[in-house]
Amino acid sequence: MSYRKIDIDVYDEDVLQESELYEPDPRDPAQVLSDAKQKQAAVRSSLAKGDIPGALDIALDSAPYGPDVDEAKNLTLQTVVSILNSTKSSEIPAVVKALSQDSQDTLMKYIYKGMGMPGWGDVSGSVLLGWHEKLTEVAGTGCIVRVMTDRRTV
Amino acid sequence: MAAPEVFSIAQTPVTCHAFNADRSQLAVSLNDNDVQIYARQGNQWKVTETLAEHDKVITSIDWAPNSNRIVTASQDRNAYVWQQTLDPITGQMAWKPTLVLLRINRAATFVRWSPNEDKFAVASGARAIAICSFDSENNWWVARQLKKPIRSTVLSVDWHPNNVLLAAGSADMKARVFSAYIKDVDKRPTPTVWGEKLPFNTICGEYSSPAGGWVHTVGFSPSGDVLAYASHDSSISIVYPGGPAIYTIKINSLPYVTLTWTSENALVAAGHDCQPIVYSGSEGGWAAVGTLDDTSSGTAKAGSGARAGSIGRLNSAAFNTFRNADTRGQTQDESGQTELLTVHQNTITSVRPYDVGADGNVARVSTTGVDGKLVIWDVGAVSASGLAGRLGGMKI
Amino acid sequence: MSNSLRPYLAAVRSTLTAALTLEDFSSQVVERHNKPEVEARGSKEVLLNPLTISRNENERVLIESSVNSIRMSIKIKQADEIERILCHKLTRFLMQRAESFIVLRRKPVPGYDISFLITNVHAETMLKHKVVDFIIQFMEEVDREISEMKLSLNARSRTVAESYLAAFAS
Repeated sequence: MSYRKIDIDVYDEDVLQESELYEPDPRDPAQVLSDAKQKQAAVRSSLAKGDIPGALDIALDSAPYGPDVDEAKNLTLQTVVSILNSTKSSEIPAVVKALSQDSQDTLMKYIYKGMGMPGWGDVSGSVLLGWHEKLTEVAGTGCIVRVMTDRRTV
Repeated sequence: MAAPEVFSIAQTPVTCHAFNADRSQLAVSLNDNDVQIYARQGNQWKVTETLAEHDKVITSIDWAPNSNRIVTASQDRNAYVWQQTLDPITGQMAWKPTLVLLRINRAATFVRWSPNEDKFAVASGARAIAICSFDSENNWWVARQLKKPIRSTVLSVDWHPNNVLLAAGSADMKARVFSAYIKDVDKRPTPTVWGEKLPFNTICGEYSSPAGGWVHTVGFSPSGDVLAYASHDSSISIVYPGGPAIYTIKINSLPYVTLTWTSENALVAAGHDCQPIVYSGSEGGWAAVGTLDDTSSGTAKAGSGARAGSIGRLNSAAFNTFRNADTRGQTQDESGQTELLTVHQNTITSVRPYDVGADGNVARVSTTGVDGKLVIWDVGAVSASGLAGRLGGMKI
Repeated sequence: MSNSLRPYLAAVRSTLTAALTLEDFSSQVVERHNKPEVEARGSKEVLLNPLTISRNENERVLIESSVNSIRMSIKIKQADEIERILCHKLTRFLMQRAESFIVLRRKPVPGYDISFLITNVHAETMLKHKVVDFIIQFMEEVDREISEMKLSLNARSRTVAESYLAAFAS
């Protein structure tokens, strides 16, 4: 037995694992995916009516997080990005102020996720930066700190 | 409504501070291995003694007001209890250290005397809290450890007024209430909202931080029936176990690292935002009241018209110059506007009650920070305009 | 394109301010040690989520934070081969002199051009908002430096070619 090559830190029971750092999503992955698809349809109809705040509320509510739900996550990101792209820059401050604090935190998470994948889908850097600036003015640096600490990454 | 008293004690960060009973002396750690004892002389604090025994940075100091003992904890895994004894050689009172065997194998991060001053709790990076009590038979301090279910470094502890319960905040995102009942030292405690019949190491409550941040600081209210904790996700939570109800306030600015209760319904929290904020509420709900640092009045720093006290450090004078350069074409003013608009220029590391007023509530609190300043604030001088400006500011 | 520079720098500034909430933290893994947790990566719970701020695909900033240190990596815009070479030489020059910069890291994080490591010791000895100002200024100036170097390089090569080929013209 090559004892020198064993990584003993893996077997340490006291160490906190990634998965223990947050509460897992109570819904199962199939449910999460169907939720995401439903939200996409609802958002599309809201956007057609021109109701941006309503569309954002639907999209940001119970966002998918955790492992195993990548498809749902991508779908929700696409939905959120489509809402952000279709808002005029003069309307952004009003929309942001109308969101609840939890929704503001979730929106900030999606803004950072979108900036982490530039060029994916129709993610546009300048649109996201504009939203980031307006959201920071309203929600403050506390919102950014929460994105960093919250392990429930969307 | 007195203005805050500002003392610039050192050029190095002040890690922690503790006053003696009549506030004439101050023990601080200046981010190094020694304790400096300062005495107040008129309007200034002068060093009178240096207590050198630790090998590494001292992380926490507590001064027991009634028995006049100092306990210090450091990153070298040790804690010392200092007592003033008559030094036979010089004929003066000198501080003599006694080593406490904590049996932890990582750094000690925080230490507090219990209300009756017969025990103290040391939080450590060894995922344990050492509760130390004095064994008079052998004339030394004996430690018992609270281990389960702590999974990471314990960042702060606070004692309940009944001398048995202990709240601890740790880096595994949880705030817990333990029972630290030591058989020969404590009498059987009366039942409280946290439970009854509590042997050593019972968990009376475990609370998570809302968005998963390390719990930097915990505090029991003066009656012990309410617990408050602040965590790194820029939130402060107040727990009523009797309700049960938990009120979480998410704040717009940077996280708090220290808090202290001023009365049953109000507390002061301070941290990376460099100003102490007052929160007040009751069983029905809690909200921020205002900041103790009224940056609009007082020293006339030529602000460029932006409201002080708004989104934390983003509203420093330097940021304003960049904004002016962009919107109004004014090039950077090289007069070196490096100062922040708050009294403290860097993170506040510790806030402690200083004075008790006539109604039994804390009237003044003292804060020390990374900028080497000690400031004594009047709790009543709350400025709500600082908070209102926070939302209304940043308009270009 | 420069109209997105201001929000880009504002986003980097606010994210850096939020990340620079550092405090002293002794290592949980090794006794009596105190290391930057973002480099040691010993305990998962003291590390925070890494954030990316990007203006487009070619310009990105990655900020990884932890309880006592943050690591910030910048990907500089390099449009063509010459800019790639100039950027590589400039960053190599800076990184070799990392000690005088104090907060610079000697090797960039893979995938990026230059990295900074700011620990709680730096945050204690230096004013945090000035450190943030320094980094933002650095980001603005690096772009300007590279375009200036490219212009002077082109001008020099044009002069050299002219004087060389003039010999054949006569």
